[in-house]
Amino acid sequence: MSDLKIVGTSVPRKDAMEKVTGAAEFIEDRYMGPMLYAKMKKSTVVHGRILSIKTEKAEKHPGVKAILTGKDYPNMIGLYLIDRTFLAVDKVRFWGEPVAVVAATSEKAAAEAVDLIEVEYEELPGVFDPREGIKPDAPVIHENLGNYEIVPIFYPTPGTNIANHFKIRKGDIEKGFDQADHVLEKEYYVPQMQHVPIETHKAAVQWSPDGKLTVWSTAQSPNVVRQLLAKSLDLPMHKIRVISSYIGGGFGCKAGASIEGLLVPIAQKYPGHIIRIVFDREEDMQGTFTRQALFSKLRTGYTKDGRITALQYEMIWDGGAYTEYGVNIVRAAGYSSTGAYDIPNVKTDSYCVYTNNSIGGPVRGFGMCEMQWGIERQIEEIAKQLEMDPLEVRLKNGMKRGSTTASGQVVQDVDYEKCLKVVADKIGWGKKESGKDGKLRGKGIAGLVKCPAQPSNAASSAIIRINEDGTAHVMVGATEMGQGMLTVISQIASEALHIPVDKIDIKVPDTDFTPYEWQSVGSRITYTCGTSVKRAAEDALGQIYRIAADLLEVPQEDLSYDGKKVYSTRDPDIKATIREIADSCKKCTGEGIAGPIIGRGSFVPTNMTNLDPETGQGNPGLFYCFGATGVEVEVDPETGVIEVIQLASSIDAGKAINPQLAKVQLHGGTIMGLSTALYEEVRFDKGIMLNRNFTDYKIATFDNVPHMDSFIVETPETKGPYGARGIGEQPMIGVAPAVANAVSDALGVEFNSFPLTPEKVWRALKDKK
Amino acid sequence: MLSYEYVKCTGLSEAVDILAKEEQAYPYAGGTDLMVGMRGGKFAPKKLVDIKTLPELNVFEENDQGIIIGAAITLNQIACHDSIIKNIPILAEGSHSVGGYTIRNRATLAGNICNASPAADTAAPLYTLDALINIVGPDGNRSLPVEEFFTGPGQTALKNGELVQSIFIPRPFPAGKGVYIKASRTGSVDLATVGVAVQNWGEHVKIAVGAVAATPVRAFSVEKAINEKGEKSSAEAAKLVNNDIAPITDIRGSREYRYHMVEVLVRRGLEQTMGV
Ligand SMILES: Cc1cc2nc3c(=O)[nH]c(=O)nc-3n(C[C@H](O)[C@H](O)[C@H](O)COP(=O)(O)OP(=O)(O)OC[C@H]3O[C@@H](n4cnc5c(N)ncnc54)[C@H](O)[C@@H]3O)c2cc1C
Repeated sequence: MSDLKIVGTSVPRKDAMEKVTGAAEFIEDRYMGPMLYAKMKKSTVVHGRILSIKTEKAEKHPGVKAILTGKDYPNMIGLYLIDRTFLAVDKVRFWGEPVAVVAATSEKAAAEAVDLIEVEYEELPGVFDPREGIKPDAPVIHENLGNYEIVPIFYPTPGTNIANHFKIRKGDIEKGFDQADHVLEKEYYVPQMQHVPIETHKAAVQWSPDGKLTVWSTAQSPNVVRQLLAKSLDLPMHKIRVISSYIGGGFGCKAGASIEGLLVPIAQKYPGHIIRIVFDREEDMQGTFTRQALFSKLRTGYTKDGRITALQYEMIWDGGAYTEYGVNIVRAAGYSSTGAYDIPNVKTDSYCVYTNNSIGGPVRGFGMCEMQWGIERQIEEIAKQLEMDPLEVRLKNGMKRGSTTASGQVVQDVDYEKCLKVVADKIGWGKKESGKDGKLRGKGIAGLVKCPAQPSNAASSAIIRINEDGTAHVMVGATEMGQGMLTVISQIASEALHIPVDKIDIKVPDTDFTPYEWQSVGSRITYTCGTSVKRAAEDALGQIYRIAADLLEVPQEDLSYDGKKVYSTRDPDIKATIREIADSCKKCTGEGIAGPIIGRGSFVPTNMTNLDPETGQGNPGLFYCFGATGVEVEVDPETGVIEVIQLASSIDAGKAINPQLAKVQLHGGTIMGLSTALYEEVRFDKGIMLNRNFTDYKIATFDNVPHMDSFIVETPETKGPYGARGIGEQPMIGVAPAVANAVSDALGVEFNSFPLTPEKVWRALKDKK
Repeated sequence: MLSYEYVKCTGLSEAVDILAKEEQAYPYAGGTDLMVGMRGGKFAPKKLVDIKTLPELNVFEENDQGIIIGAAITLNQIACHDSIIKNIPILAEGSHSVGGYTIRNRATLAGNICNASPAADTAAPLYTLDALINIVGPDGNRSLPVEEFFTGPGQTALKNGELVQSIFIPRPFPAGKGVYIKASRTGSVDLATVGVAVQNWGEHVKIAVGAVAATPVRAFSVEKAINEKGEKSSAEAAKLVNNDIAPITDIRGSREYRYHMVEVLVRRGLEQTMGV
């Protein structure tokens, strides 16, 4: 693989020029036609029965064209557990749940009309803590849970608030604890957080008189939007066109289908009009998915030389009012519940519990940040108990080639040790520095692993059209939300086709034209879409050779291709350009050989299996990506303020298709992780979100970003395109535990939850005294 | 969603006239509080009177008496002003601690105090500097000590139609040594959880604290211990600040943490300015 020319080089981003000049189009930049603007009326109670919705006044408001309530539009929707309607019907289950939508000729008129809608509720007792919600006598939020349609890999308990109970039973847990010399039991908590992309959620829909629905959306997954709408609205797929423009950041919040369907009935009433909805920041914070809070309990058995023999992990997740992705996050955290460690005996119970908080959903890491917080903190404490080096305990238990995960899947292509050591070396592990002015220094390390959380049949596909001049169009259904998909996919095509990246055109998806892609989530696109593109390129190349052989009357083995022409290796003067090959006719007779070259490639995993419902054993991972974070902090013990002195992260990318983009991804993920470690937390008061804006939901700014060192480790992924695996989410996972481990090293106090705000650090120190 | 009229006046008297006569007319300086408040429903102006370009408010002058900072002068202008950095660092620090660079490009000192947040970062420094607020209104001009200007959260001594024209910082600067120390959740583009200004004038010290009462307040107990009773220990003196404040618990910090932080920061401020 050493003769790679394009893969492994840092070609400039395909979308750079468009984006820096402002030419790139986002949904709101487009003029699409005569518009109607939609606004939602939202629930003012957290849990209640809807007694009446009065829309008369709003209907009379100038500019108002249509008002829709749940009664008019009771269609159900959901990704895994179909538990939701677009607008609340009979009942609301969280604060801010949409109860009606207004479409008007201006945003102002729509907003004014929303205020004129009167809704009467009968309040019901709420559930705000999943540990309460799981109890048999808790108020039931979804009375109809037993009747919901579900994907059969999820296990709800009708009559309760349990939306999914995922189990791991690996090895013999009793035996594992018997083998242990010590047992450590601790509880941990991770609060809700938000994604905070620059661009909020937006969608526009248009119904044409011939029954075609066009949807423009910030969705990360246009094919899923099409699939869910087809099902919910009972429309054939070829009558639904979903276009994803450039997306101003996703981080998971734009996965699945969110707001598009809300607008369809209005569009049907006004054919030809574009009905558009644009969330404001508060709506984005409160009305879309949050990261689910996690209450967890770990019981770990370990020997006196630091070998972990048994792990019992209980996770109670705050699924929020509806589950959407939540049930699958709970499942993913369950089947990965040993983190980056090889633990022979495991018993895990992971529960998704409905509450009356905002809807839980996917956020970069898909449960791994929350779940591995507990693992990495627990390992730290085990090391402390044994007076061992925490790095050594990690290395001793860390996964290696041939290790098994919690679900018993054997991992290959692993060099976790290298990931840990490179960050440890960078931060000067083992050397204690002293702080200035009464401040205290500490160092911490944490490891991480993640596989894409996807169904075993999640597919990708690609089409490559070769133009007459040898340039090419690559068509895929993956979305570009800043992660660099366009560039990396072009590089894979370029490498396989010998066509320079700047001679390849690639665009964001449009389901009428681009081929199927399951979803741009789970750090999977480079691997899955990349594989399908590589296959499409190889298919096109095969056609080029076959046609050229016929045209030039030279055996295929004797032909070579340099991206411009195919020539005989015996006599380079015997050659044909791509144009000549594309509309090729036999020289002497004029009989045609073949038409334009179109390569196609598809991908579906062949190494994944379903999991046993009782034991959770099986192969849920397409690939496993390991990494580590190392941090040095200086803490002011009086104020609790943490200063990050050093921040090093490593990730095993297998092969970095574009090293520069990989590093940027590593930077971005690490900063996002740091932001959650130190600042981010969505706060609720009995279901009411208290910090819906940036005055009080704080994220890191440039000023908060320390110098960072990033290391791309490259242990090739055997089946990945050119050895690559995905790295999008992973860099975030280890940061919070690494920071906490470092602070704990500095101060000698333990932290069971984050963010480590100055006040929390101060309080922990105070409580210790 | 609001609709309002935007007016830009050519002279101060015209602005005063509109503000005095029209309902719900607001002076509009940098707009960094106003716009956020309008979006959040805190203000519902019918008219915004843009005062940024009025020549009378763009005065920025140092003379024998002190320094005059017009109401249209931005916080970046103040934080970058050579003489202020050198001679009144406490004001440069307070100004610089507001928001981020882009915010300070618009935000004004006058806007910061007129918005009258108890956490306003320039307020505590102005308290320790004996700043005077020059007000212009339909009945003419008047001046108030800054401490009388703040009357409650979001409330000032301004009467209907009145406008802050400038802020005057009297000498004896460059004598004295002062610091402003701010604690916040992120330390970057964040509001103060507490803010402490300590100005040592040589024979006496002045201390003011923000975000721990309905308005910024002076730490009289601490000042008295040092100035009158000769307390030499910064730590002992700082403890007394508890008598001067009444913090609350909110999303930015608990009452308990605020009590603690004010004491720590007052002590540090004293250590940094008194050399003890
Ligand atoms: C992102 C962000 C971060 C911020 N961070 C901080 C911070 O760290 N610390 C802090 O203290 N503040 C902060 N603020 C608040 C704000 O920036 C400051 O209070 C600023 O100084 C206000 O000045 P302005 O010129 O923008 O005021 P404006 O918004 O124009 O006006 C504020 C109020 O004062 C009135 N007003 C303005 N000028 C006059 C005048 N001459 N006479 C009478 N009334 C007048 C207006 O009518 C309005 O009611 C922040 C704001 C934002 C948006």
